[in-house]
Amino acid sequence: MGSPNDIKKGAVIIKDGEPWIVTSFQHVNPGKGAAFVRTRIKNAKTGKTLEQTYKTSETLTFAEIEYRNMSYLYHDNTGYVFMDNKNYEQVSMSDEDMGDDAKYLKDGIEVLVSMYQGNAIAVQVPKKMKFTIVETAPAVKGDTASGNVTKEAKTDTGFMVQVPIFLNQGDEVIVNTETGEYVERAK
Amino acid sequence: MNIENLQVKAEVIKAIRAWFDNQGFIEMHTPRMVALPGQEPYLEPCWLDVKRQTSNVKCRVALVTSPEYAMKKLLGAGLDKIYDLGPCFRDNEPWDGSHDPEFLMLEWYRRNAGVNELMDDVLNLLTFVISKQRNSKFEIRNSIKKMTVEEVWRVYAGVELAPLLENREAMAKLASEKFGQTVTDQDDWDDIYYKIFLSEIEPKIEAGEPMFLYRYPASMAALARKSEDDSRWADRVEFYAGGLELANGFAELSDPVEQRKRFEEEQNLRRRSGKEVWSIDEELLNALPKMGNAAGIAFGVDRLVMLVTGAKSINDVIPFSARDRLGKN
Repeated sequence: MGSPNDIKKGAVIIKDGEPWIVTSFQHVNPGKGAAFVRTRIKNAKTGKTLEQTYKTSETLTFAEIEYRNMSYLYHDNTGYVFMDNKNYEQVSMSDEDMGDDAKYLKDGIEVLVSMYQGNAIAVQVPKKMKFTIVETAPAVKGDTASGNVTKEAKTDTGFMVQVPIFLNQGDEVIVNTETGEYVERAK
Repeated sequence: MNIENLQVKAEVIKAIRAWFDNQGFIEMHTPRMVALPGQEPYLEPCWLDVKRQTSNVKCRVALVTSPEYAMKKLLGAGLDKIYDLGPCFRDNEPWDGSHDPEFLMLEWYRRNAGVNELMDDVLNLLTFVISKQRNSKFEIRNSIKKMTVEEVWRVYAGVELAPLLENREAMAKLASEKFGQTVTDQDDWDDIYYKIFLSEIEPKIEAGEPMFLYRYPASMAALARKSEDDSRWADRVEFYAGGLELANGFAELSDPVEQRKRFEEEQNLRRRSGKEVWSIDEELLNALPKMGNAAGIAFGVDRLVMLVTGAKSINDVIPFSARDRLGKN
């Protein structure tokens, strides 16, 4: 038994006896209404998707998920391929299932793969990851008082992030992958 | 944190005050610490203990979730057009990209007004505030779309809501059979309404242009007057823009007998869900008949600043957000 507050990407909810994978979710508090979690779920057997909204005070049944540490290998026509670090078993996630987090994948990066009945159903990338800035406007020096002013920068995996203006091309930065925001300069 | 956004925020606040001053509103600085906070069943106040130096007795006080009660008492005391701009506090919020437990709320009230006047105010206020910004990422073009709750259900979900009002069984059947929602025995009519609304309708509203949603089912407007032509609906309005819910307003209920009944229903709902219950604010009930046919609306200023600056998270328009200063672990 569980609470809708425990819903996360890759969790499997048992609904009417069928396993449904959470593909996205969002907490919503409609004006003065109860607290809800809006989810998109996908039937693990049929692939059918549904929009479901749960009240946070409800009780849910989650299926047992096995989490395995794997490394990202490469992208091919099956999608994103990962390898189990212990037994070298390989699994793949379709482009659609990998979703927006694909932009954080780098060769060899360690991820947590959720396995349900032998299938990879979700991939969690580390919460904080290091990236190199490959493109940005030149650094502005001697302006430490406004150190919180930001500019756009392109990372080595190709996504854009807002970074402080004192950073340069070639600098390494830590990005929070849950929010997509810059955290700090990598040491 | 983003210094540029904070500079824009200061300009937005300056423009808001200028607009209200131009319109003849008076700014009120209502208390943040109160003994009897709002009793909405789904809002949780933050509580703290305060004591007088000469006493050992601690008073338990709440930080306001909105200045609503004080503002209504001030209308009852004879004021006509008032606004309050200050922080409000809510416990048990998600602390995500659009909620901070301490946020900047603008509330204004007018005597002899209804939801139409509130919608006009929002349009005129936003037009003015945006005109004062150099690089606003948010624009309003002369008018804002208006749709009733009945219309959005018809257009976005293909459902005629009127025949379903107050009919829980029919709503439950619709939710599970047409929309595949899970309905439990604990879900009341409003809960089922939201399960469908949040999955099927709100995402479409949020993806579209700025919009007023008005005329709500009467059960969803505990502090609003019922619509004159049909008492199953109430005069409540919400304003959506850029994927955010920015404002929530009512033609305010001024009947103290009806208001007491609704407060008692809210208390029962709180009790049933195991939440704390406190006394009804009798001074508020006494003030209601003296308030006349007033209308009032609460407007999230941080969210407006998000739209004007293009910030994706409320944490980018607050100097030290709760997530940063309190949520390290």
